[in-house]
Amino acid sequence: MVASAAQTASTILEYSLTVGMSVMEGRGFYYPVDTLPTSHGRLYVVNRSVDGVERGVRVTMCDINSDYYGTFGAAGNGDGQFVQACGITEDSQGRVYIADEYANQVSVFDLEGNFLSNWGTTGNAEGELDGPSSVAVGPNDTVYVSDTHNHRVQRFTASGASIDSFGSQGTGDGEFDLPWGLAVAPDGDVYVADWGNDRVQRFTATGDYVATYGSSGRGDGELRRPSSVVVDERGLVYVADWGNERVQVFGPGGEFVQKLRGEATESEWAKIFLGVNKEEAAARSRADLEPDIELYDPDDPHEESSHFEKLFWSPVSVKLDGEGRLYVTESNRHRIQIYQRAS
Amino acid sequence: MVVSTKTDTNLIAHLLRRAAFGGSRDEIETWAERGYEAAVNDLINPSEPEWAEVFLARRFHFEQSGMLTPQGGPAHWLYRMITTKAPLHEKVALFWHGIFATGYPKVIHGKALSDQIRTFRLHGMGRFDNLLLELAKDPAMIVWLDNQDNHKDAINENWGRELLELFSMGVGNYSEDDIKECARAFTGWTLGNTEYMVLRSMRDSDWPYGRIAWHFEFREDDHDDGEKTFLGNTGNLNGEDIIRIICEQEATARFIARHMYHFFVADEPPVPSWPYTPPRDPEAIDVLAQAYFDNDHSIKAMLETLLSSDSFKSEDVRYEKVKGPAEFVTGVLRLTNEFDRPRREILDRYFQTNFMGQMLTNPPSVEGWHQGVEWVDTGTLIERINFASEQLGDESKAGVRRMVDSIMSADPDPSPDDLVALCLENLGVIAISDATRGVLRKRAEMGEHSRNKVLEMLRLTAATHDFQRA
Repeated sequence: MVASAAQTASTILEYSLTVGMSVMEGRGFYYPVDTLPTSHGRLYVVNRSVDGVERGVRVTMCDINSDYYGTFGAAGNGDGQFVQACGITEDSQGRVYIADEYANQVSVFDLEGNFLSNWGTTGNAEGELDGPSSVAVGPNDTVYVSDTHNHRVQRFTASGASIDSFGSQGTGDGEFDLPWGLAVAPDGDVYVADWGNDRVQRFTATGDYVATYGSSGRGDGELRRPSSVVVDERGLVYVADWGNERVQVFGPGGEFVQKLRGEATESEWAKIFLGVNKEEAAARSRADLEPDIELYDPDDPHEESSHFEKLFWSPVSVKLDGEGRLYVTESNRHRIQIYQRAS
Repeated sequence: MVVSTKTDTNLIAHLLRRAAFGGSRDEIETWAERGYEAAVNDLINPSEPEWAEVFLARRFHFEQSGMLTPQGGPAHWLYRMITTKAPLHEKVALFWHGIFATGYPKVIHGKALSDQIRTFRLHGMGRFDNLLLELAKDPAMIVWLDNQDNHKDAINENWGRELLELFSMGVGNYSEDDIKECARAFTGWTLGNTEYMVLRSMRDSDWPYGRIAWHFEFREDDHDDGEKTFLGNTGNLNGEDIIRIICEQEATARFIARHMYHFFVADEPPVPSWPYTPPRDPEAIDVLAQAYFDNDHSIKAMLETLLSSDSFKSEDVRYEKVKGPAEFVTGVLRLTNEFDRPRREILDRYFQTNFMGQMLTNPPSVEGWHQGVEWVDTGTLIERINFASEQLGDESKAGVRRMVDSIMSADPDPSPDDLVALCLENLGVIAISDATRGVLRKRAEMGEHSRNKVLEMLRLTAATHDFQRA
């Protein structure tokens, strides 16, 4: 059975459209890992590709209308290249930061995708990185880095000078287990997807623990291996509940607000592909993409998502733009589902 | 019974080489303390059957989740074999994969193949009837043997033929008419959304949004519900009836028993010669076939019988098997503990099994791999030796460091014989021939005792003939 499209305590988001398609080069995405809605209205989508395969690694530049502006970045160890690209963010000066969790580096580009610099040293001492998976920028362009295998969050200046860090491995307040996505809220607080602990933790800008959102499970308000978090000016907390293959919205006090399971439609790029490949389009039109089937484990959302194309499958990142639209990047479906504020 | 003698440690090591992927010295000693029967029971009924690392694998290796390419699924499986706490379940999956050999080049759907391996894991120790039924409904198998082209008015015999020849009874136990009737019974057993899914597969299309998992569909309108006669049974037989009849046959019990002996006890010749070559140990086959019938066709009961039998424990069958590439690589990596966390190198390790002659989920044919000494030729042997030597000579790996620490702390100045013995113990309580011992002793006599010397000894031991065997 397909889960209903949007299940809510109250509806604050409604589905809008889908952008993207699985493509190894150029216009399209290939195992996208994060999306940046830029300050000049574009979408920069970081494509991780397949381990050991150079093709596919790039940042795709497009927009919500599916207009395509090219790519930047490539596979490799050189300047402007990535081994295992991860999170992306932008600072107040229009500089774009991309973390590489294998190379233990943060690469910096200008808003047109020209390489500017990179920084990062492998290790576990202060200022060193082991698996930087997400980046976010706070006031004064302080760069927060989710230092995954060191189980902490580190703060750097925009030029990569270490400021300090917070967190250590554990399950207590302020401790982490392989933290992944992080975000700076409009009020300056920092939210971290504490992946292995099935929760989101909130901190002050300097790393003092404030609150926890969610606990282990599959019920409303419960999380399983959250990958990403973003917060709006109302204090609503949007979480990519990755292991549950859904997105959840929490109120400022941590109360459950809404959950989304995905309702993708054909993107403009998908329509173009199917318009050209008529045999495949015809077969697709005759197929039942929401078949009534018995799953080997009906309680396994990863399995369910693999069968039903419209559902989120590996919703790895959530991001907001200035219009309050939520961008859900799905690595296994090579697309972004976009939700807008409910009317 | 508490087992704690040296001989029993060797027996536990034998059990772990066959029913798992070998064990470290500490593991072997721990199992030995609990006794052989408890070890067999724990392997068959592990306390942690679920794989804890599944989320880690998906997080750090997206392709192991989305499976767009031929590599994602088998790399995921290799990672699981290396890190699982239920190694017999993976060994059993590997066993069935060698029999129900299904390959990527025709299926072109990594998730479907990975799902088939999951079926082996979930049903591989249950009733054989259930396993065959799951396989008959398995989308990858359906495409592999063309059952989507097996129609009410135009049968395709491929699945029916292989079901009898390779998957259950073996040639000589059925007629050509039985094959046709079998095929008729499986008409309408197909892949859901056949047209779209087969077209995407043929084109290797992951457009627009990646792979869509396959599912089974029974199409009643395409099923031949007429009267059939199969192995002397007449009626309006369906696929379930065919499988029930197959599983009642003596030939089926003996065929599966011989496969189990071949995989778990001692190498047999390739399957095509079985009708003309008697089993290496006919009595062992009799015992296993009897266990099959005494226990409602339970594979688990057959395994318990096999692992508890004198023919399995016998010193005569130790090292009588050449490790397959996947089990060889897995065994070494479990020793070195290279994958104490997700690492991109898992893909390299998967490719190394390919270079050694076994590309998981891509067997050479529906017959699977020829095993035994056919695993080893001059090229694959070099690959094996280089791989093991590189792994065991790398002290940055936690498992290697532990072995070196253990040997260094056991004796500050061991005699050459003691150093050889310590290396053999740490690599999994291995017994070796006198000729091998002579070579290792010669190296042990050279130079001062040091960590580097121990590393060299470990590498040299892993390069021996004996280490290639289980």
